[in-house]
Amino acid sequence: MSKLDATDIQGFVLRGYGLPFARYMFLEIADAHSGQAFIGRLLDQITTGEHWDAGKPEWALNVAFTHKGLVNLKLPDASLLSFPVEFLQGMKARGEILYDTGENGPEKWDAVWRDGRVDIWLAVNSKTKETLDAGCADLQRLMEETGGARVVDSQDAGAFFIDGHWSTKEHFGYTDGFGNPDFLGVERDTQPGQGKLTADGTWAPLATGELLLGYADEAGELPVAPIPHLLASNGTFMVYRKLHQNVATFRRYLEEKGKLYSGGKEKLASKFIGRWRDGTPVELSPDAPNQEIVQDKRRNVNFTFGNDQDGTRCPIGAHVRRMNPRDAFGFNGRLINRRRITRRGLPYGPYVPEDQPVRDDGEHGIIFMALNASLFRQFEFVQQQWVEYGNDARLGNDKDMLMGNHEGRDRYTIQGTEDPKNPPFVCGGLPNFVELRGGDYFFLPSMTALRMIAAGTVDPR
Amino acid sequence: MANQSGNVYGLTILSPILQDPNAETSHNCALRMKLATLPRDESSPFARVSSTHMARLVVMDDVVYMGMPSCEEHLKSQYLVFETNFDGDLDTYLALMAREIPTEVDGIWQHCWGYPGVQDVGGFISYMKKCQITTTFYFADVNNKTVQQTLKALQTQAAVAEFIEHNQGRTPAELQKSFANFLQMLRNAPPPIPGRPGTGGPPRIETRMKWATRN
Repeated sequence: MSKLDATDIQGFVLRGYGLPFARYMFLEIADAHSGQAFIGRLLDQITTGEHWDAGKPEWALNVAFTHKGLVNLKLPDASLLSFPVEFLQGMKARGEILYDTGENGPEKWDAVWRDGRVDIWLAVNSKTKETLDAGCADLQRLMEETGGARVVDSQDAGAFFIDGHWSTKEHFGYTDGFGNPDFLGVERDTQPGQGKLTADGTWAPLATGELLLGYADEAGELPVAPIPHLLASNGTFMVYRKLHQNVATFRRYLEEKGKLYSGGKEKLASKFIGRWRDGTPVELSPDAPNQEIVQDKRRNVNFTFGNDQDGTRCPIGAHVRRMNPRDAFGFNGRLINRRRITRRGLPYGPYVPEDQPVRDDGEHGIIFMALNASLFRQFEFVQQQWVEYGNDARLGNDKDMLMGNHEGRDRYTIQGTEDPKNPPFVCGGLPNFVELRGGDYFFLPSMTALRMIAAGTVDPR
Repeated sequence: MANQSGNVYGLTILSPILQDPNAETSHNCALRMKLATLPRDESSPFARVSSTHMARLVVMDDVVYMGMPSCEEHLKSQYLVFETNFDGDLDTYLALMAREIPTEVDGIWQHCWGYPGVQDVGGFISYMKKCQITTTFYFADVNNKTVQQTLKALQTQAAVAEFIEHNQGRTPAELQKSFANFLQMLRNAPPPIPGRPGTGGPPRIETRMKWATRN
């Protein structure tokens, strides 16, 4: 395959920046002409995938559009109508498929998402709060100068600063950030276990087309993409979901069940996800956390489930096992390769240590963003079949314990052995630990596509 | 063995549909309209043919011409496709259909050539077998248990999961007592109803069994 032109691809697609502060601004376009002018002014500030020779920049800027945004920028109809149907509809309209109903339904969302007002996602990631504020103020000025767009909502997010350093923990106390897939042509610190399984048990990068439009995917096909080719190529689709976390409920639940579980509370917590809260994969170390494994890049995502068919090490329904079943469905893991997603994301809201009181209500949770070439085949499939259902793993109707929309009638089964420290255990009466507060589907264009959009020269013929 | 997948029989029948140029509504349209009214849950007629794992009825108009370079071909007739997976042997199943759902069978097959009615069960069985084609490919949704065994197993699984959920952490003595009550209740539980949604999942409130612990 040809080498990727990293300077044509938005940096956000190719790497997680690891910058601790973020603000996602949601904009409404005023009119096509001034909207195009605004985007034109943004162009040379947008962070691409170019190599950072001098270390991390102070801040990074990226942009993405809902379908409505592209309509408002007056892209040609033939291009607009050639986008995949799920993107055209937007995430709210896909609610039945995604189980975004009941407690996760749009009536409970933040107004900006409920009312479908978002055209543009403008993301600033930065090293410091000051840079963040300054950067956003600059962008605000640009909006006013061009009259091209206005901010209808803004979401701050950021890493927790714990014990004197930036952490990758989230509100339930789990260490996050493992397991993003490797793609052919994407430069990255590769770790064994991130890619796809090969017949000899080693790991290989996934086809580029699982992430980027315009390249062959794992089936050797080009994923459904808008016309013309130049509009789509080097772009991708993003799902953005604001996931509120009921931290008090989670802690209470863990405390209560932890008393009944003979392995103890922390082990129980590890069985929910498939990693101990410090990040140790349960499959590699089921009895105790092990920071050595966490710190070892050759090990911390390097495991399979082939020797754990019964789920007595990592439960069959555990989160990591649902999100990436690896070899658990047989066929050397090949059934998984078209269902991988790339996660970016940060917690929002202040971190409250375990020993301090915490509430369910309040603005805290995780901003979940996933990148994939096909929303339908990748994110939507995983959400519907592996988060909100259990049939592929032979778990019937069981949902993901932490993320599932339990509707007051679900349970999580932990498979066990006769070892008194590893008993079978059933977690019932599952409340919704996570609640969806809104989001949508976005198109992240390449730099070339952005220039065409800004210049109004997208030509579908 | 043809038509057999483990303990389950896979029946495929293609019944040619009547063509009456004088009919106000053609038979295949009338048949489609009829099939659209059939319920698919526990009130499905096939829930009454109790050995049915899965049944499907489809109106097949014709093969679809895909354009050049394929050559254009047509079927000699329109067909009603009837596919079903069931326990037991074919004759027994067809006789059960004739006995349990005669009105529905009439309502559907009256639109098909040579349908003799269900009054004469032998005649009906012969007619259906004339239209049978060999099944060689199966929908893998059953695991060699009968419908009743499967439903009972799902009911038991859900009940056991609920029992564990409410009794874990109890003392051995409490557990023994609770389990004895549970077994009793499980044995006396009414047989699960085929086709009811949620039969396999966590029990709904109205069918939830009461445990000793809740008294």
